[in-house]
Amino acid sequence: MADAQAAHEAHDAHDHKPPFLVRWLFSTNHKDIGTLYLIFAIIAGIVGGTMSGLMRLELAEPGVTFLTTFMGQRDIDAASNFYNVLITYHGLIMIFFMVMPAMIGGFGNWFVPIMIGAPDMAFPRMNNISFWLYAASGIVITLSLFVPGYGSNTGFGGGWVMYPPLSSNTGSPGPAMDLVILSLHLAGASSILGSINFITTIFNMRAPGMTLHKMPLFAWSVLVTAFLLVLSLPVLAGAITMLLTDRNFGTSFFDASGGGDPLLYQHLFWFFGHPEVYILILPGFGIISHIVSTFSKKPIFGYLGMAYAMVAIGFVGFIVWAHHMYTVGLSVNMKAYFVAATMVIAVPTGIKIFSWIATMWGGSISFKTPMLWAMGFIFLFTVGGVTGVVLANSSIDHYLHDTYYVVAHFHYVLSLGAVFAIFAGWYYWFSKMTGKEYREWLGALHFWVMFVGVNLIFFPQHFLGLQGMPRRYIDYPELFAKWNYVSTVGYGITVLAVIIFAICMIDAFFIYRKKAVANPWGEGATTLEWTLPSPPPFHQFNELPRFDKGDAKAF
Amino acid sequence: MKKFLSGLSGLFVLAAESAHAAQEDGAISMVPAASALAEEVHFFHNGILLPIITVICLLVLALLLVVILRFNVKANPEPNRFSHNTLIEIIWTGVPILILLVIALPSFELLFKEDVTPDGKQVAARGDGQTVDFVFPNDFPESRMVARPDHLQVIVDDGATRTTLKHRRDFRVEGWGETNLVVSLNEPAPAGASVILRGGRSTQNVSSCPMAKRYIDSCEKEVVLAPTMTLKVNGYQWGWSYSYPDFGDFEYSSNMLPEEQTTPELYRFEVDNRVLVPVGETIRVTTTARDVIHSWAIPSFAIKIDAVPGRINETWFRAEQEDVYYGQCSEICGVKHSFMPIAVEVVSRPEFEAWVDSQRALAGLDPMFETDMMKLAQGPVAGAAAE
Repeated sequence: MADAQAAHEAHDAHDHKPPFLVRWLFSTNHKDIGTLYLIFAIIAGIVGGTMSGLMRLELAEPGVTFLTTFMGQRDIDAASNFYNVLITYHGLIMIFFMVMPAMIGGFGNWFVPIMIGAPDMAFPRMNNISFWLYAASGIVITLSLFVPGYGSNTGFGGGWVMYPPLSSNTGSPGPAMDLVILSLHLAGASSILGSINFITTIFNMRAPGMTLHKMPLFAWSVLVTAFLLVLSLPVLAGAITMLLTDRNFGTSFFDASGGGDPLLYQHLFWFFGHPEVYILILPGFGIISHIVSTFSKKPIFGYLGMAYAMVAIGFVGFIVWAHHMYTVGLSVNMKAYFVAATMVIAVPTGIKIFSWIATMWGGSISFKTPMLWAMGFIFLFTVGGVTGVVLANSSIDHYLHDTYYVVAHFHYVLSLGAVFAIFAGWYYWFSKMTGKEYREWLGALHFWVMFVGVNLIFFPQHFLGLQGMPRRYIDYPELFAKWNYVSTVGYGITVLAVIIFAICMIDAFFIYRKKAVANPWGEGATTLEWTLPSPPPFHQFNELPRFDKGDAKAF
Repeated sequence: MKKFLSGLSGLFVLAAESAHAAQEDGAISMVPAASALAEEVHFFHNGILLPIITVICLLVLALLLVVILRFNVKANPEPNRFSHNTLIEIIWTGVPILILLVIALPSFELLFKEDVTPDGKQVAARGDGQTVDFVFPNDFPESRMVARPDHLQVIVDDGATRTTLKHRRDFRVEGWGETNLVVSLNEPAPAGASVILRGGRSTQNVSSCPMAKRYIDSCEKEVVLAPTMTLKVNGYQWGWSYSYPDFGDFEYSSNMLPEEQTTPELYRFEVDNRVLVPVGETIRVTTTARDVIHSWAIPSFAIKIDAVPGRINETWFRAEQEDVYYGQCSEICGVKHSFMPIAVEVVSRPEFEAWVDSQRALAGLDPMFETDMMKLAQGPVAGAAAE
């Protein structure tokens, strides 16, 4: 690897970056596009996080008090509609515009080509259109917030799942829903193009000698994710197109009075929606694997098991969708099948958890900031995973479905799982991407405050769910007051953590300004990005690294 | 280890039961069960799932702590380089599969109990002090026939006490799985006593069964009788309408009571017109909706069933005690989604019948039940008579 690095330094002189506008608007460079995606995700994260703040402030105590005041002394109906809009857009933004662009668009674009020893993505111009479709999609969904949805209320408030008839003309006659559909079409097209790009890149542009079984696990995770996207997104596109024609052109796919069936939409949506949740978490699995290995100074335990566990999770993820629909009136045999299939997922997931621990076992672990996030991820993802096993049982889901238990479950795997993985990746690769170091203690402080905050938000929500509190409620009986209050306090602590994060970043860029070395993590960091300077040159690997001699590995 | 595990789950059960004493703010467990089926759901969660997932989380936490303490850079400066161990990989693939089987078996059993509406049947005869043979017409479809001792209950009621007889000790049966089942009592039924034969494949643990017995599946089983009535639920934005097709199909709507008409505790739970059902009887619930999807849920009975326009969904419950049970709409349905609660009032059979007649009067129908004192005095047996 040393010769590869030398090769790069020699080529630094040819590192001709285009002028600013050309570089950022017409960008075809995978690292620049990755940066754009990350900026996009940060903005979306701030918007989505603010929305959850408005929700938590409203839910701090029983009675509709906060949102009516916040909206300028409007009535409860207006506030309730706004609350529904908040839950809807919080979900859509966090899923489609925060986690996906951060993990796949951001880290995927940045590090998949580098990790497999490729100079860039296979289709750099398509990469550009992928990003700008995403940007357009973000603009359209923002616009939809400001046009009428239900009556004179603006925005669509039917939940991120957009079930008809609430999302059809019956429940949301205004144009907001049409704009949401357009936005998701754009985001879907963008993701499909991006996925084709990743699949092609990973299949064709690996460095000489890097077989799929020598490829770093992050590249594996993005490969599986890309396949999930290509196979699932067209189904969502079909479903929302049918919804669009139901709304505007008189069809009745989902309209019972015209011979359609509202449940058809739910089947189509969750055929996309369940793979989607693995799309959100799989790249995180890849990131965590690298971090755990790096800071334990040990190779990944059970590399092949780890890679094929992800493939298995991806495959099984396609045949479990109706576990989101246990209460809609499925036949009992169908529910029994989905119970069995869903619980199967626990097996490959367990393999991953235990393999991470086995990777650390016998290691020489240094607890740098990324490792803190990774270990936090492992524990919290376990908690979210086991409540998933509970919910997989239809017999108990008849009690817990659509309660706060479900909210707690999926925030443990997404907010405390995927988001922790994103922060882990951010701190892990920050110096590589920016060429600057952050202050270690600020990163660690961010972790600990955030760890306390998010657990305080979401753990009590298990109790609310067991008590029977339904989700998507702006107001609730006195019975649920205590844990809701605790949850809101947790949000306050989380905000503090985000402020610490902002300080840490501002400090790194403008005050600390310490220049990063090529490999700050030492001998444990074995993947190709650490052979390049920080930040990497505009074009890397003019001379390809080789893995065809001896038993060289890229992980 | 086994002792440790059962002790641990005992702790959970204790915690769960003490918190159940009353549903109160700050509780950490499920709403108290009000049906035998809900008790089975509680046992499945509190007795099986919760202990298992807690142990798994603690195991992962313990492993992480060991790793942190033993394999940090100070304690272990020289990392090992191993990256494979076939045995351990087989173990951590195999053991989770076994755990999932332990979960899946009771899970399926419970699911079928919840989703298959009971079809149990009861026949009663008068003892005359001599007859020992009683016939149970086993006229179920092939797959639902009474074919095993736990599909059949024999109860002798002499007016003062009800005794459930034991198979073999108290009676023998000829003709399992055939059209006519002959129950031969070892001692003739006393003159004047009722001999009640209950048969069917819908069985459940009796609600008084203690937790410990549930683990070894040695609970006394009871046959659940087929529904005595159907409750039609129709959801709309934003309330519920209920009708009673077995009693003249009268219909009324049920909406949340405003704050000033109820107590602070019940506000957002209480409605103007509750659902009334008789205690101890199986109630079939069918749901549909007029506009968007709603979901009819009563946590006390552990049921939740979506009300979908254009479809009719079915579930059932059997309340054990007279009380009022509350639930809330559980599928987002628009602006007032948070304000369309459900209240089910479980009353005695005579009270229910009087209420039905009052509702029928409102709908311009003649009374359906006699409300003379005889009937009222007869009490719970009336449920069987309506069968």
